[in-house]
Amino acid sequence: MEEIVISLLIFIPLLAVFIALFFPATSIAPFRYLTLGVNLLQVIFLITILGSFELSSGVQFVEQQPWITLNLGSWGTLKAEYFVGLDGLSMPLVGLSVFIMLVATLSSWTIHKNAKGYFILLLILNAAIIGSFTALDFLLFYLFFEFMLLPMFFLIALWGGPNREYASIKFFLYTLLGSILILIVMIGLYISVHDPSSSGELVHSFNILNMSSPVNFISNSILDPNNPWQIGWFNARQWGFLLLFLGFAIKLPMVPFHTWLPDAHVEAPTPISVILAAVLLKIGGYGLIRIAFPIFPDGAIYFGWFVGLMGVISIIYGGLNAMSSKDLKRLIAYSSISHMGFVLLGLASLTPEGVAGSIYQMISHGIISGMLFLLAGVLYDRTSNRMIANYSGLSGRMPSYTAMVLIGFFASMGLPGFSGFIAEIMVFLGAFKSGSIGGPLHESMAIVATLGLLLSATYYLWTLQRMFFGPYHLKGNIGESQIFDLTKREYIMLVPLAAATLFFGVYPQPLIEIIDPFAKYFAEIVLKTGTSLKLNP
Amino acid sequence: MFPIEHFLYLGALLFSVGLIVVITKKNMIMVLLGIELMLNASNLNLIAFNQLHTNSVNGQMFALFVIIVAVCEAAVGLAIVIQVYKYYQTSVPGEVNELNE
Amino acid sequence: MDIQSYHSSFFLTSLVSVLVIPLISFALSFIISEKYSWIVSFTAPFLLLISAFAAGVVFYYTWNNEPFTIAWHWFTSAGYTFTMGILLNNTSALMLVVVTVISFFVHFYSIGYMAGDTGIRRYFAMLGFFTFSMLGIILSDNLLAIFFFWELVGFSSYMLIGHWNEKPAAADAAKRAFIINRVGDIGFLIGLMILWTHTGTLNLVELGSLSGSWQTAGSLCIFCGVVGKSAQFPLFTWLPDAMEGPTPVSALIHAATMVAAGVFLLSRAHFIFPPNVLDIVAITGSITALAGALFALVQFDIKKILAYSTISQLGFMVIALGVGAPEAALLHLFTHAFFKACLFLAAGSLIHSLHQAQHQSHTAFDVQDVRNLGGLHKKLPFTFIIFILSGSALAGLPFFTGFLSKDAILTAIMNWKGSGFSWKWMIFGCAFIVSFMTVLYTFRMIWVVFRGPEKSTAQLSISEPPAVMRIPMALLAAASIWIVVSWNPFDFVGWVFAGLHPGKYFHSGIISIFSALWILFALLIAYLTKNKSIRSSMLLNGFYLPKIYHVLIEIPALQIARFTTQADVKWIDGFIHSAAYAQLIIAHVAGWFDRVIIDGMVDVTAQVSRGIGSFTRSFQSGKIQLYIFWAAFAIIIFIIWTLL
Repeated sequence: MEEIVISLLIFIPLLAVFIALFFPATSIAPFRYLTLGVNLLQVIFLITILGSFELSSGVQFVEQQPWITLNLGSWGTLKAEYFVGLDGLSMPLVGLSVFIMLVATLSSWTIHKNAKGYFILLLILNAAIIGSFTALDFLLFYLFFEFMLLPMFFLIALWGGPNREYASIKFFLYTLLGSILILIVMIGLYISVHDPSSSGELVHSFNILNMSSPVNFISNSILDPNNPWQIGWFNARQWGFLLLFLGFAIKLPMVPFHTWLPDAHVEAPTPISVILAAVLLKIGGYGLIRIAFPIFPDGAIYFGWFVGLMGVISIIYGGLNAMSSKDLKRLIAYSSISHMGFVLLGLASLTPEGVAGSIYQMISHGIISGMLFLLAGVLYDRTSNRMIANYSGLSGRMPSYTAMVLIGFFASMGLPGFSGFIAEIMVFLGAFKSGSIGGPLHESMAIVATLGLLLSATYYLWTLQRMFFGPYHLKGNIGESQIFDLTKREYIMLVPLAAATLFFGVYPQPLIEIIDPFAKYFAEIVLKTGTSLKLNP
Repeated sequence: MFPIEHFLYLGALLFSVGLIVVITKKNMIMVLLGIELMLNASNLNLIAFNQLHTNSVNGQMFALFVIIVAVCEAAVGLAIVIQVYKYYQTSVPGEVNELNE
Repeated sequence: MDIQSYHSSFFLTSLVSVLVIPLISFALSFIISEKYSWIVSFTAPFLLLISAFAAGVVFYYTWNNEPFTIAWHWFTSAGYTFTMGILLNNTSALMLVVVTVISFFVHFYSIGYMAGDTGIRRYFAMLGFFTFSMLGIILSDNLLAIFFFWELVGFSSYMLIGHWNEKPAAADAAKRAFIINRVGDIGFLIGLMILWTHTGTLNLVELGSLSGSWQTAGSLCIFCGVVGKSAQFPLFTWLPDAMEGPTPVSALIHAATMVAAGVFLLSRAHFIFPPNVLDIVAITGSITALAGALFALVQFDIKKILAYSTISQLGFMVIALGVGAPEAALLHLFTHAFFKACLFLAAGSLIHSLHQAQHQSHTAFDVQDVRNLGGLHKKLPFTFIIFILSGSALAGLPFFTGFLSKDAILTAIMNWKGSGFSWKWMIFGCAFIVSFMTVLYTFRMIWVVFRGPEKSTAQLSISEPPAVMRIPMALLAAASIWIVVSWNPFDFVGWVFAGLHPGKYFHSGIISIFSALWILFALLIAYLTKNKSIRSSMLLNGFYLPKIYHVLIEIPALQIARFTTQADVKWIDGFIHSAAYAQLIIAHVAGWFDRVIIDGMVDVTAQVSRGIGSFTRSFQSGKIQLYIFWAAFAIIIFIIWTLL
């Protein structure tokens, strides 16, 4: 089973979609339990994977099957493969996705409208997410990447809040723009890279691992590292990096391509917000680490300072925006932007600590933001009102809820003992160190980024003060009877997330030891190839 | 013995009258009468031309055949006219224009 | 004690239990249900008692012995293993005892003080958690672990200041305290980054290879953390606000332990501070000491007087660190912890008694405002004695611990300033002025509250607090007597000082005598001016620093935040929208072109064929007679055409 375990992870949700088609649309329970069953099955597979995952042996559980092979005569052969595998980068992210999808299904218990369509879309999304985290073939990745977009669009557009059409279309257009940028580079790479395993004839493949090695570029092709074409201000490889970077940065999201996120979050139903924040944003970071940086290490070095700068800007700008948000979900969405800035900063440092911190931050932010959006959803389910100003002194009436919010907020502001602290401290250590080991960042970037910590403390504590402390009163047509403490189901959703962030904050070793070999290898390879490519044109 | 031209003049006259009746008359029964006139004109021609072949009576035979056909035609035609009248409450062909609409 | 004793399981068990038992107390408060919350007020002090005993055992084994270290792997990244380790030497052993003992006393006292509070589980939970994190700071062997607990201390302080969070002022003060602490913490974090980059380690024992400008920058950044946590100028504003919390909390956190964490850190990382940074430390300390004393002189709120006096005393300790005498600072930290905790507990018992009395007689006035109080020595004789004892220690009267520790600091400053005349004399003078003013404000506070005529309290029948509150106060007051520190009431080099820094021995009898005379002179002045008071709204409001922060930082920050939101809505979304509109307009133009030009051409073709069609259609009117007419007409035409 180990040979096909990733395929099982990807295709079991699709199989469940097929089964779900046969149930009548009037019922709700079969779809709920079917989805829950799929999630639990995925958890079991995940545990078997974790059981036999070897820490320092690179890509594992590889499945490689021919998928599309087209002989194009004098243009060589087009070869796309079904090529999936797991390594120190994708393993934690797949784990996070499985975990979050389970929580999201639990939180979908509140969905009654057209449950069949909803759960089918959720299952498709599930498959696409796991697919994009495991795909090692660019075309396959792109397919899954795009495949994620449609269920997401419909989930927001059909089950969302009052302004859902606007939000979903904005989300769709932004992401599509990113996809187009990625597509351009993908075609460029397809033209420029040949498959070294097929000697003699010319085979163009989409294998990401091949693309990551500079020797596989066809000489005098457009992206040839030895002789890249000059287009405008930059050479073709730098353009390639820049386009990929922008494409994934939209997904991340990075300021100034972030405005789809608050709208999408505010309008999306709670489980979808959770998936969006916890998993989908990570695809942006994952794409940068998996594709943009290793394939264009020279571009990464050249634009490293820019990436870091955008990270710092995202941190500060997101924090400032969160501070002036009047809507709880919007505040959390902006804090997401701020926290994803750390991913960029750590990545751009190209130090082992920074990269490991950046991956750790993705996992940590996945858990914490999932929890925060669930918490916002808990309140919204009760009162249909998310305005911070409408609440005051909730701590007396909802003590357990307040305790959970405290955990979520303090975890998000990077209090030691929660996973965010480990991630942020490593990003900071790496970002500061970057300059002294030849990395692209200047020390001042790390120093300016620390302002983000101050901002996050400010907006979270201010929100706590406004909503939960002070005398108890409500505004804006919220009935007294709507305010009640957490239910059992909400506990079941929230406690695992709180426990996870606490666990990874107190005892980070199990997660770090998966990430660390990859981060170390990644930072070294990118820094080394990047500088050597730049030195010998 | 009348020269054959006289018959032909009469036949042509009858045919012309019949044709004009068919074209101009609004009532369907009158149209049928016009057709009878035209048939009779053709019968007259058939018989007149048979004079040229003395040892044959094919013209007469053909005329008889036409008379029989005319009778049948009149019967069927009248039946149709009655049905049309029943259905459309008119026997004027110009008013039966359902297909035209 | 030989080194082997460290490995006895008894020692290790004690060491671990010192640290873990407060955490158990924290966890227990969540397990016990709301209904039985009174159980917590027995389990928590009991557990802390065990912890204090364990600390005593650890202290017994460690004091004047080889430093003990033990480390556990925390996580490994980038080829470096981050550890969570324990570094136990005389300093940390002493602090261990101070923290656990005072924490136990405060727990015990809280049984009485917090009786009947609805949030009692949360209260004891956070006290336990605070004790745990404070012990973490004390024991940690590397800066990252210290930073870890450093922030946790800030968090528990936040929770405890905001314990009565339904009071808006408490919630606000808690937020402020955390944020201002975080400003300092960020400095600390930058210091960590610098040290990590330039030495590759954060372990206190291995640090030391740093030099040059990075050393200056790094140590300055770490000092920023100290400024935040130990309420030094200019970040001290949170400490007076923090008095919104329950008074036992103020005693434990905001007088005895947490604020001392900065001083402790400075003494622990003293060796990475270059001389030029130490000068800055000394100057900051003296500004803080002077400012704190000035503010304390004009306050009316009894807890705020004590808070500013804490700031001033912390400034004193920081001066000592700046002049290169960490042992003097720690001695003062040690004595200050006891007498200031005692003063706060006494103030708490005063507030408690008056609240009780108010409750019975249904009167309302601000019991913390000393202007409402007076002549209470008859009604509250026990509290009065406690105030006298611990107040004397604060003022530094001879035969009290405060005198000795202050003496140590003054001696250290004198040795540091050298014989030549330089700016360093100003700090020396400043220290004397501060000790003078300390006497003034302490005397004034006690005099106003306990002597003179009774004011608002005249009609109230006031009773002393219960024994559960009196016992800790009495024990802490007893710790203000000089014997605790040294046998000789005029020689600060007792067992504590010698243990903190064996070998270094600067003693100057002249200072002791001079300082004793100076203090007595101050007492005389204080007595003579007892009815005068200084009014200065600038001093009352702490140089208007909170207001300045509000105007210069909070308001602009909020404005920038609003501006960025506007930028988001107007520019970024505006750009997106206008791009979308532009696209729509292009689409409309294209649509128009499609409709009018391209469809138009198609339409014309259609029109033509339609015209032809309707023309030919006109022949097929459905009139049989017309058809026949046309047929006949055609035949006629045909005949005519053939004939012609």
